[in-house]
Amino acid sequence: MNAKEIMNKYTTKELADAFVLSSNLTSKQKKQADAELKIARTKTQSEMADKDRLVLKLMQLKFQIEDYLKSESFNPKFTFSYFLKEYVGILNKKRKYFAREINIDETELSQLINQHRLPNDNIMVRLEIHSNNSISAVSWCKLVEKEKEHALKTNVSLRQKEKKYVTNKLTVHIR
Amino acid sequence: MTIIEVKTGKSKRVDVVPVNVEGLKILTKKRYFFSWKKEKAHTQLYKLCIVGEDDILGVMALVDVPGDRRMEIKLLVSSKENVGKEKMYDRIAGCLVGFACKESVKRYGDLACVSLKPKTELREHYRNKYGMIDAGLQLCVEGLSLIKLINKYLI
Repeated sequence: MNAKEIMNKYTTKELADAFVLSSNLTSKQKKQADAELKIARTKTQSEMADKDRLVLKLMQLKFQIEDYLKSESFNPKFTFSYFLKEYVGILNKKRKYFAREINIDETELSQLINQHRLPNDNIMVRLEIHSNNSISAVSWCKLVEKEKEHALKTNVSLRQKEKKYVTNKLTVHIR
Repeated sequence: MTIIEVKTGKSKRVDVVPVNVEGLKILTKKRYFFSWKKEKAHTQLYKLCIVGEDDILGVMALVDVPGDRRMEIKLLVSSKENVGKEKMYDRIAGCLVGFACKESVKRYGDLACVSLKPKTELREHYRNKYGMIDAGLQLCVEGLSLIKLINKYLI
C-alpha cells in the first residue's frame, strides 16, 4: 500500500490519528520550506515566556540525568557536581544567592560544584524541594552512587591492599 | 508513557527505543505500510512497544537537524491493526510525537523544536491535535506547546 492508497482508504482524521505523512517536496521547495521555518521560529522564540524557557531547560536537565542513569556506561563528566552546576546555571542566579536559598554556606556549594565534597541526604532533599520536585533526591543520590560504583569497580590498588586481610578464599567462583 | 486499549479503556505502559537490524526485518510493508529499510538509510528509526512485549505497534523516522536545533519527523505510522475505526490502541502516534519532543528538548533545551512537512490534507488535523503552528510549507511545535505535548504523552 503506497501513500496514495493509504490516503484513499482512511478519513483524514483517522490518518492524522495514526500517521505522520510527509509531502514530497522538490529540493527547491525544501530550501524554501527551511527558510520559512527559520523565519517563523525567530518570531516564536522571541515571544517565548521566561517561565516556558525555564521549564524547557529543567526538562532538558531531567532527561539528561534520566538517560545517563538508565545507561550502563560511566561518563566521568556526568558527576553530581556537573549536574548541580548545570542546575544552578539554569536558574541564572549568583551562587551565593542559591546557597542561601538551600540554606548552606557559599563555600560548601562551591565545594559541591567543584567535586571537593560529596552531598549528604539533606542537601539532596533540599535540591528536590528547591526544584519543586522536578529533579528528585533519588536522582541526585543515584548520580553519586554511580560515581562510587565506578570508583569501587576500578580501584585496583585497594584490591591489592586488602588482599592480605582475607584468608581461606573460596576456590570456586560464579560469573 | 501510556497507550489506551480502545475496547477496555485500560492503560498500557509503552517504551520507545531505536530499531536495530533485527527489528528492521519485522517491519514489513504489509503491516507497517512503507519500506522502512529505505527510511533507515537517512533517518533514525524508533519503535513503540508495550513494556515487556516485543510486538511493534508504531514506528517513526526521525532526523536531527542540529544546525536548526530541531528534530524533523519524516514518517510515522501505527501498525495496520491500529489504524481506523477498529483500531486496538489509541495514542500510539501521540506517544511517538511526544518522544520526538523529548529528544529535541534533551538536545536543544529551550531552543528545541519538532517540525514536519505534512501532506496538505492532514495539515489542519496536526495543528489541532499537536498544537503545531504554520511555518510556511512546514508545521512546527516549540515552547509552551512542546511542553504540553511532553506532559500529555510522556509524563
